Amino acid sequence: MTTERLPLRRPREGRWVAGVCTGLALHLGFPVAGVRAMAVLLGAAGGAGVLLYGFWWLTIPPGDPRDAAAEARPAALSRLAPRLRGVQQSAARRNVLIALGLLLGAAVLVAVRTGVALSGGWVLPAVIAVVGVGLAWSQLDTQRRPGARRADGRSPSAVLLVSAGLVLVLVGALLFAGQEAGAGTMVRAAMAAVAVLAGVAVVLAPWWWRLVRELGDERTARAREAERADIAAHLHDSVLQTLALVRLHADDAVYVARAARSQERELREWLYADRPAEGTSVAAELRRVVAQVEDTQVERTADGAQPATIETVVVGDAVPDEQSAALLQAVREALVNACAHGVPPVSVYLEVGEESVQAFVRDRGDGFDVREIEPDRFGVRESILGRVRRRGGTAEVVSRPQWGTEVRLSMPRAAALKEDA
Amino acid sequence: MTTEQVRVVVVDDHLMFRAGVRASLDGRIDVVGEAEDVGSAIAAIREHRPDVVLLDVHLPGGRGGGGAEVARECADLTPGTRFLALSVSDAADDVVAVIRAGARGYVTKAITGADLSDAVVRVAQGDAAFSPRLAGFVLDAFGTAPADVAERDDELDRLSAREQEVMRLIARGYAYREVAGELFISVKTVETHVSAVLRKLQLSSRHELTRWAAQRKLL
Repeated sequence: MTTERLPLRRPREGRWVAGVCTGLALHLGFPVAGVRAMAVLLGAAGGAGVLLYGFWWLTIPPGDPRDAAAEARPAALSRLAPRLRGVQQSAARRNVLIALGLLLGAAVLVAVRTGVALSGGWVLPAVIAVVGVGLAWSQLDTQRRPGARRADGRSPSAVLLVSAGLVLVLVGALLFAGQEAGAGTMVRAAMAAVAVLAGVAVVLAPWWWRLVRELGDERTARAREAERADIAAHLHDSVLQTLALVRLHADDAVYVARAARSQERELREWLYADRPAEGTSVAAELRRVVAQVEDTQVERTADGAQPATIETVVVGDAVPDEQSAALLQAVREALVNACAHGVPPVSVYLEVGEESVQAFVRDRGDGFDVREIEPDRFGVRESILGRVRRRGGTAEVVSRPQWGTEVRLSMPRAAALKEDA
Repeated sequence: MTTEQVRVVVVDDHLMFRAGVRASLDGRIDVVGEAEDVGSAIAAIREHRPDVVLLDVHLPGGRGGGGAEVARECADLTPGTRFLALSVSDAADDVVAVIRAGARGYVTKAITGADLSDAVVRVAQGDAAFSPRLAGFVLDAFGTAPADVAERDDELDRLSAREQEVMRLIARGYAYREVAGELFISVKTVETHVSAVLRKLQLSSRHELTRWAAQRKLL
């Protein structure tokens, strides 16, 4: 990586105008200041620098050279997390453009004062054409900028600006070419020009189309490869490790079952679930609670003690708040109780409604008489029922012989409470 | 039906799993055939004409449609042959695809042998087999708010109040018998409600249920 030369790109970070000098400096390994000074010198010497700069602006694709270097390598080998970004300088560019415009204006004024014959005949068409070209080319630059494009790489405003630029260039060229001609000739000439252009476009369209499609294909292929590498890395980290642990502890049935269950849960999450962002989903929080209980509790089955397996069903979802957090703590206590005292299967059902969140925890034990809970038994009375009731929710325990026990909890949502107040 | 065994074809691409299923099913069920991909499944089903097909959702072969493709190809055999989907996946899209292709139920592979046998017998009798997870998914797709309750019985896009109650209890882990006890109705009535929900899930014009459910999850 250090010995290899970075590819030629126009980076977004640290650019003054279009990033040509910065990109060249990174590519050649020269200091940026030197390259810039060279460009200015060349520019002053008969405008060669300006022409060269314009040429490179058009031909060098924008992007971070380090990213491009990483992309060129197979995805499986490169790092998956994106790199940290440097400082972005965008204000300077506009200033430089304005300065260039003012300089041009001043040069024209000076030329007029010193007596260079500027016949108005070609100045106006030239200005119109230059503005048109600038308009269209500015879009070329933004279009290729990553992040600013839509899926198909075009936005309506970009298309509008490019067509406006085209029209301006056409008008400029017509004005230039047809200075002496009358209106009729102008119109005919314009029609002929448009017809020729249309013909060329029709001939070239298939090639252009194929180019665009191949580009898109390549892009998706790269994305897929990155995704695959991501998954491979994950499988390596978790599944292989679990398998190794299982082999090491082959004689410890509870440990093996627990490791397998925990791995299954994680893999399932990876394969079949949209993983929501941290702290945005009550459903995800419940799954975490269930995972904790499954990892620590043992349930009594006919075959002896087994790690707990909890059937979890969630309907709806919401952003967690204090109300739902308290409810989930109560659910956690109820699950621990169900595993410790009940008989599997233990199941939990959570329904997020508009007004309230409801949770049901069920086991198939012999049940117990709720009234017989000793006042000093803190578990059920305080940590489950009290916790929910204190926050304005309802809580009850239903227990029947040969049927099991169900803890039914309902908690008003924070948003619903605020509306009442 | 009580004396006769239910004839079953097991379709799954893993030999180990087919053997496991065969061993875990009880005496009410007779496994008459096995198949491991879409093509062989269709052939085996046409050959044996079983009462119930235990169908894995993800199958190799065919046109890539998996279990749903098998169910669709053999749709002309119903009601003689019914399908019960059996999968490790609990993704909403997989569930909907195979149910809409005509499966009469959906259970996950973690199910115990006794429960699986119950589900097979239930499907053979023409009822629907709903696991708690499938019930939860139905509630998620059709909605649980008061505005989501159907006003007429023939509405396909919404569940009736009673159907919602039944689904909720199944999602809470209640067996059909327990649902019946809780709502003071007969088991047969519970089965009728579940079949009605299955029909809505299959026919509802609430198209792209999955995308809709996915959106709800993003709330």
